[in-house]
Amino acid sequence: MIVLLGDTLTLFRREAIRYRRDRAYWVGQMVFPLAAVGFFGFGLNDVVELPTGTDYVGHLASGILVLVISSGAVGGGFSLIEDRETGFLRALLIAPVAPASIVLAKMAARLAASLLLVAMLLAILATFTALRLPEPAALLGAITAVTAVFVSLGIAIASRLRRLESFRLFAALVTVPLYLFSGIFYPITTLPSPMRWLSYGNPLSYGVDLFRFGLLGIHEIPLATSAVMLALLSVGATALAVASLNHQRADR
Amino acid sequence: MESSATTNPPAIEVRALVKRFGEVTALDGLDLRVPRGSCFGLLGPNGAGKTTTVSILTTLIRPTGGVARLLGRDVVAERDAVRRDLGLVFQESTLDPELTSREHLDLYARLYHLEDRRARVDEIIALLGLEEVADRPTRFYSGGMKRRLEIGRGLLHRPQVLFLDEPTLGLDVHARRAIWDHLRSLSDGGDTTVFLTTHSMEEADSLCEQIAIIDHGRVVASGSPSRLKSELGGDVVRLALERADGAIDRLNRLDGVSEVIREDPDSESTATLRVTLVDGPRRLAALIEAARSFGVLEVTMQRPTLDHVFLHHTGHSFEGPTDSA
Repeated sequence: MIVLLGDTLTLFRREAIRYRRDRAYWVGQMVFPLAAVGFFGFGLNDVVELPTGTDYVGHLASGILVLVISSGAVGGGFSLIEDRETGFLRALLIAPVAPASIVLAKMAARLAASLLLVAMLLAILATFTALRLPEPAALLGAITAVTAVFVSLGIAIASRLRRLESFRLFAALVTVPLYLFSGIFYPITTLPSPMRWLSYGNPLSYGVDLFRFGLLGIHEIPLATSAVMLALLSVGATALAVASLNHQRADR
Repeated sequence: MESSATTNPPAIEVRALVKRFGEVTALDGLDLRVPRGSCFGLLGPNGAGKTTTVSILTTLIRPTGGVARLLGRDVVAERDAVRRDLGLVFQESTLDPELTSREHLDLYARLYHLEDRRARVDEIIALLGLEEVADRPTRFYSGGMKRRLEIGRGLLHRPQVLFLDEPTLGLDVHARRAIWDHLRSLSDGGDTTVFLTTHSMEEADSLCEQIAIIDHGRVVASGSPSRLKSELGGDVVRLALERADGAIDRLNRLDGVSEVIREDPDSESTATLRVTLVDGPRRLAALIEAARSFGVLEVTMQRPTLDHVFLHHTGHSFEGPTDSA
């Protein structure tokens, strides 16, 4: 166990170096959410009235932050394909390293990047939206769970695909419906009945709801339900990702 | 046999190794024995089965049949223990373009839990002459620098057996010679057994104490390069003649001629003969004199090379199928 954590920390260090050097990534991740909130949020603010009582800018801003961390987390899987294409993964898989360490390191690095990103964006968004930090524990839990689930999803997809193009297409096919039916753009309770039930079956809905509770103090799903669902999903998805990488290793 | 394998096993022992990929047989009953502390070369054209052999010995793929042992341990049954004792330098790059040499080596030093991590990383950087670029990301490196770093990564955890799969493939002459110098200093130094695959006869000749030549997944000849060459029975003289009729019989009767082969049996005009001649420099004049009546167009003499050894044992030249196996 100590070896596993030590190896995870070693690989985390490498991922962190890569994030730190990728300036274009940070610029993109900062500009896109601010532009989306500015354009759609303020454009629709006076048109849309929400049953939750918050203004639309605040609702969208919190949703867009989840979109940023979940799509970024899928990129954790994307980086596995990069590792395979550069050959780095090959050398890693013959070193005495458990695949669990590779998965956990990608997850931990992505979590650190997500936390940093949310902190920086929140500092800016708080100046012109209703976003505050009334429930920091809920926010932390939501970021951790969404990151774990989506990094795992990315790794599970990446373990089965050989090419970056296939990954992008397949990841979009899987994730776009999750984004649309998750409450990122509109509250779940405003949706017509069949779509609302789709949203309740969507793991991301629980993450969005808990995340929004962390920033705005409001929620549509009982908090305990979200917490339990996210905990189960995180553990299940992580196990799936480790199994996918193990399978790939045994396959060679 | 078993007791010697457990008390003082060779670095590598392979018996009747078979690997099939669907319909394709990559290894067809391969036998090898590599003593400890030597530099061993597995030589063959593309597609002969070299990479497949390394992949099995380094536990990356499983054999279809036969036995492969590294330091007495079965590569299938004792995979994890085998992995700790080996270093592998792949044919393709395995570097992260965003990481520096030092970061790569530090990462692997941590994963192998080396106690003298910092000192060992510095030592490897110095050994491979990477001091000046050690803190630059590898995407700025030349092919030769990348190879050196790969070799450094393979050596870092002091493996007992270091595998190098085509270590100088794609490098220019200058970079290739630099890599050879580094590899030579390694095998001179100590206990590490170096096992390299190559399709370069010159590389095998220059680096390896023992070689095995493989073709179509089987060993066709093995031994030291000098012994294999001396087994050919002399120097190689190439004669271009105007007429071949009777020339082979005439030359075969000469003192010191051990073999005469026509290299271009289909040619109707001129003929090129490859004559193996014992003590060539002394007997060359007599050979040319004997060939004079057939119209000598050109004469060249070479000391025997591993190319000739390959041709001798396989009956075909070193140009093989191009698919890699």
